[in-house]
Amino acid sequence: MRCVGHCAGLVAVALAVSLGACGTFAARDTRLQAVKTVGIISAVGDEMNVTSAGLTGLNNTNRSLPIGSWGLDELIVQQAGTALNARFNVQPVSYRRAAFAAITDSPIRPMNVVRGDPFKRLVQTEVSPQGLDAYVVITKARSSAGSGRYVEGIGLIEYRTLLASHNQLHALYEIRVFEGKTFKLIEKRAAQPLDNPEGLRLAGPSRTVDETFAPGNDIPAQNERLRAAIVDLLARSLATTLGDMHLADAH
Amino acid sequence: MSHAVEAALRSPVSGVHRVSFVALTAALGAVPVLVLALCHSASAEPLFTLPAPPFELPGLPPPSGSWTVTIGMGGEYRPDFEGSKHSGLSPVPIFSIRRAGSIEQFRGARDSSSIALIDFGYLRAGPAGKFVPERKSSDHSELNGLGDVKAAIELGGFVEYYPVDWFRARAELRQGVTGHHGTVADFSADVIVPVMPRLTISGGPRFTWKSTDATATYFGIDAAQAQASGLPIYEAKGGAHSVGVGGKVAYRINPQWQVYSYVEYQKLLGDAADSPLVTLRGSPNQTTIGFGASYSFDFRIQ
Repeated sequence: MRCVGHCAGLVAVALAVSLGACGTFAARDTRLQAVKTVGIISAVGDEMNVTSAGLTGLNNTNRSLPIGSWGLDELIVQQAGTALNARFNVQPVSYRRAAFAAITDSPIRPMNVVRGDPFKRLVQTEVSPQGLDAYVVITKARSSAGSGRYVEGIGLIEYRTLLASHNQLHALYEIRVFEGKTFKLIEKRAAQPLDNPEGLRLAGPSRTVDETFAPGNDIPAQNERLRAAIVDLLARSLATTLGDMHLADAH
Repeated sequence: MSHAVEAALRSPVSGVHRVSFVALTAALGAVPVLVLALCHSASAEPLFTLPAPPFELPGLPPPSGSWTVTIGMGGEYRPDFEGSKHSGLSPVPIFSIRRAGSIEQFRGARDSSSIALIDFGYLRAGPAGKFVPERKSSDHSELNGLGDVKAAIELGGFVEYYPVDWFRARAELRQGVTGHHGTVADFSADVIVPVMPRLTISGGPRFTWKSTDATATYFGIDAAQAQASGLPIYEAKGGAHSVGVGGKVAYRINPQWQVYSYVEYQKLLGDAADSPLVTLRGSPNQTTIGFGASYSFDFRIQ
């Protein structure tokens, strides 16, 4: 009972803080309320990275395998469009996907602050038509995968320990919303982890899988189960993430 | 994207039952959160949601999204002061905050607090700082007559390199800005073995170099101190300060709870080992045993 009392007090404080900060939402919500037409850009699914982590050999480099034929970006645009259609007028846009996929964070973190958001310039120069109210940009995100290693985008981690090993699929992406006239960033959010109690906990959607999901012969496009598992990760996380961003109804 | 807006506090304290102000503040600050966390069933859902901050810093990633807070408490059985032959148990609060899902980087028991501003994954570097508690002569009879040494803050930088996932080499170079004004360099190497996904064992050698200013503050004895303490005058110079070995075991019981234990042994070298404070009243063999448990929970910022 005492615990419940403490919790109630703390919740009351949190509520008071929340109410007091309601004004802070106004700017973001106001900018979103003004948005009628939206274009969606996706540059996540051109390649799959296969990473060995944990107890690895000395010569351990990531493998990058082409999966463009899976059409994941088209799928993302379609699913995001469906989710956003309830609130916005989603219009098709054309863009140079490779330009968006090539952007990576600088490992020198202060440089990322100095250079600003590189996707802002791309939306200005690589997307047509211009003049929509907002552009939703979905690109690869990065996560630590144990000591000394990062993974990004679509991939599979082969994690080895002394006594056991497991494979873990990931679909790491982040969503930006740019205002269509000024190209100011309205909102940016990375897709959050799904409930995955086993395996590594990555900073985005992931799930452990068995060895039948491994991309055999370096041709992942032939593994339909692999594709289905990645599509499942994207589908489950996309609606939640767009909902968290107040762009679509959650779930 | 792993935006490392990350802070960590693991503050071993000197002397039995003594807690530094910073550590105490962190611990007290964690209490309401701990109460709330323990009321909450362990699940992947965020414990609570906070409103977005009223402003965002230009260029920095917005804090919106899920975050993981780790809080806990440990103990450290360690020498009463560097060079002492007596040890005592001290509390060690644990607090860290990071993006939800991001894996905690490997952290050695002797690592200073640090932030990686340069982060290639396999190579990380950035500023580092260490708080060294004050040494009060009234707390320990061996120090009678030597006077107090103020708490020291050492600021500098670190570099760590992972040639493979399971091996880390780390170097720190710090300059004392309060307490002492010497230079300290720490070197360590750790083999990190994931025995099972939840169990990790690590360990390796350590080496510390200190300048004359950093050594003399704690091991030198001037004429006044000699007269007051009964120890001979001793002029401590810098150089190789200590060599040792350390090991750590960490076990994650479930996504929320983790327990750990570590042992660090160092043997004082050079003028530190030859100081009368050590040879007549202390010991060059310094062993620290630590243990603790931590609880992690998520919260969300709108």
